[in-house]
Amino acid sequence: MSRSNARTGKTLTLWLSLVLVGAITLAGVVSFVWTPFALSDMAGGRLEAPNATHWAGTDRLGRDVFTQLMIGARIALIVGAGAVAIGAVIGVITGILAAFATRFLDDALAAFFDILIAFPTLLVAMLVVAAREESSLSTAILALGIGLSPIVGRITRILTKQVLSQDYITAARVCGTSWPVIVIWHILPNIAPFLAVNLALQFGLAVMAEASLSYLGLGAPPPNASWGRMLQEAQGTVYSAPWGAIFPGLALFALVIGINLLADGLRDRFDPSRRSA
Amino acid sequence: MLTPTRHPNRRPLHSGAVKAALGAISALALSASATFAQDYNPDAVINIGSLYEPQNLDNTAGAGQGINEAFNGNVYEGLFVLTDAGHVEPRLVDSYEISDDQLTYTFTLKEGVTFHSGDPLTAADVKNSIERVTAEGSASSRKRTLANIETIETPDDRTVVITLSSPSISLPYNLSYVWIVNDDAGDITASADGTGPYTLQEWRRGSALAMVPFEDYWGEAPSNGGVMFQYFTDATAQNNALLTGAVDIITSVQSPDALSLFTDNPDFTVAEGASTTKELLAYNDRVAPFDNVEVRAALARAVDNEKLLQAIWGDYGTLIGSFVPPTDPWYVDLTDVNAYDPESARQMLADAGYPDGFSFTLDTPDYDPHPVVAQFVQNELAKVGVDVKINIITANEWYTKIYQAQDFEATLQEHVNHRDIVFYGNPDFYWGYNNPEVVELIAGAERASSVEEQTEMLTEANKIIAQDAASMWLYLYPQIVVSKSNVTGYPVNGLNAQFFVSDIQKAD
Repeated sequence: MSRSNARTGKTLTLWLSLVLVGAITLAGVVSFVWTPFALSDMAGGRLEAPNATHWAGTDRLGRDVFTQLMIGARIALIVGAGAVAIGAVIGVITGILAAFATRFLDDALAAFFDILIAFPTLLVAMLVVAAREESSLSTAILALGIGLSPIVGRITRILTKQVLSQDYITAARVCGTSWPVIVIWHILPNIAPFLAVNLALQFGLAVMAEASLSYLGLGAPPPNASWGRMLQEAQGTVYSAPWGAIFPGLALFALVIGINLLADGLRDRFDPSRRSA
Repeated sequence: MLTPTRHPNRRPLHSGAVKAALGAISALALSASATFAQDYNPDAVINIGSLYEPQNLDNTAGAGQGINEAFNGNVYEGLFVLTDAGHVEPRLVDSYEISDDQLTYTFTLKEGVTFHSGDPLTAADVKNSIERVTAEGSASSRKRTLANIETIETPDDRTVVITLSSPSISLPYNLSYVWIVNDDAGDITASADGTGPYTLQEWRRGSALAMVPFEDYWGEAPSNGGVMFQYFTDATAQNNALLTGAVDIITSVQSPDALSLFTDNPDFTVAEGASTTKELLAYNDRVAPFDNVEVRAALARAVDNEKLLQAIWGDYGTLIGSFVPPTDPWYVDLTDVNAYDPESARQMLADAGYPDGFSFTLDTPDYDPHPVVAQFVQNELAKVGVDVKINIITANEWYTKIYQAQDFEATLQEHVNHRDIVFYGNPDFYWGYNNPEVVELIAGAERASSVEEQTEMLTEANKIIAQDAASMWLYLYPQIVVSKSNVTGYPVNGLNAQFFVSDIQKAD
């Protein structure tokens, strides 16, 4: 394969990822102002196949599946973004702290990250949900954010240490620059591109984890539509009305693959060692 | 129909040749479809798929319906048995007589009955077993129905004399709930020692319960080589297990959509029986606003049960207007009482002082169909201004939070029992319904001198609870059992969630 072909392929996947993520984001945003039916409107018959009125069919209660998919897109994006934001804040702060800290504290924090990472994100999230009285959208976001934070923390620590070993940091230190200034002027701008790629990957993980939580009945409670709960509810009717499971499954797949491809494309742009020009 | 058990001239009622013949006929009827395939395999182990894993193995310790399904009539027997056809027949009782004042029952036990451990059945075991159910710490939902037992005497090893404080026409029926347990058995929450045709072989918590035929069983030996109840937490996995041959029978199909897999397939038999399983929304009638009859009636009118039943069961299932299913003798059609009428629901809420509605939490068990039912109810009540918060809980949480602690506003539950209108006569029951008139009628029906009188009084109680909208009765489940077509002889009605396995046959 020639170099330009490889490049076109990469551009194509980037475009594909933008289309996938863009379409789902659009659906989620539009759902705030318009959906084909009201979410709880039992407008159709029981388990109607996809048709002109109900584009993705109806569920057992006669509710429009397409409407639920749109609201589900909104929930997935909100939970994904919220969880990544919480994970990023906690992770970046602790990661940078660890990199700057004394040897002992650094080792302790690193070990702490590793131990937390050893727990599956979903398990940590389930513990957080269990600790709160009842499940809600904010609980799900908080739970997943906490679950993701050690992953972000570990990568932040490593990236920060790399930057700290550079000569210009030593120069800045010799000049007496205080460490908050070093963090803001030198470290954050340098680690941001790599961190962004990692956060995009975490976003995909968070979306999957939210679907899993909802599937287990621990996510946002009804009437919030979540793809995970749609899958769970469609489970009993998967033979007679497969669209109830296929569409949310496809939506989930499209969003996660879109985000992963996007992260890939971003890495190619930001990572000089991968730049092929 | 329950056969009257009172005998005016104190002549002992023998379970003689006529009854044996009747039993043989009904056994034949059960296995009628198998007669063409006489050569079943008597050693075949029958795998039974069920969604009702017991919490423990003691039916007085809150084990749930699963333990009745697995153990009633299989591992444990009662003095009487409620047959799959709904008749109360003597089981460990050979004969009994009732005094003229209906206060003294004298039971003569069957001879030659032994427990699985080898101990012979004695009157002391019977006394002990009844006292287990009525004991202080017993969690049996039928405890109150035996509360009028004053003394239990055991003049000799084969005679039990029960003296009642007030007449109890359904004593034999109520005794069909009482497992006769070896009084040396001690704690039976994880082991078993009964007189039934099967002994407990192994209980793998969370997955399976295995039983093997008991060699010294007093009655007819089982026509299979043992059974294994395999527990599933979701209906799809259970259906798949039947499709792939991992189980031979599933005791209850949970959705009509699964049926299409089996109905047109010659490899499977679909049997529909008479169900007693009621889906209901139980309010905590002690707390406001559910202590207000008008509010409860308004909510009942706000929910379109017919649409709900259609959504959950398609063309199966039955609508009920109260807690009483058509197989109970005191059934009357009450579906017109507080029928679907959202207009009047809004008006009644306003009259009751809730013109803007109110909000409550609906504790919803996490298994099908409750979460979907909860969403339906949420939608319907939103239309009359009532805001429902759905709180998903596990079956275990349901038992501790709702049944024991009674700490809830409203909940969804399926009630499986036959003749369980008596729960509305118990103001301490989890839903806290307390209407002195109903309490009196239900208590009075027990003292009735004839079945007709009992039926009349319970019919009246049934009408009152419907008028009071004591709970929101959503629908009656269909009772559907699906098996591989080479398996026959299983019960189809599942009254009180019982599942007698002794006659099940499997051809090779």
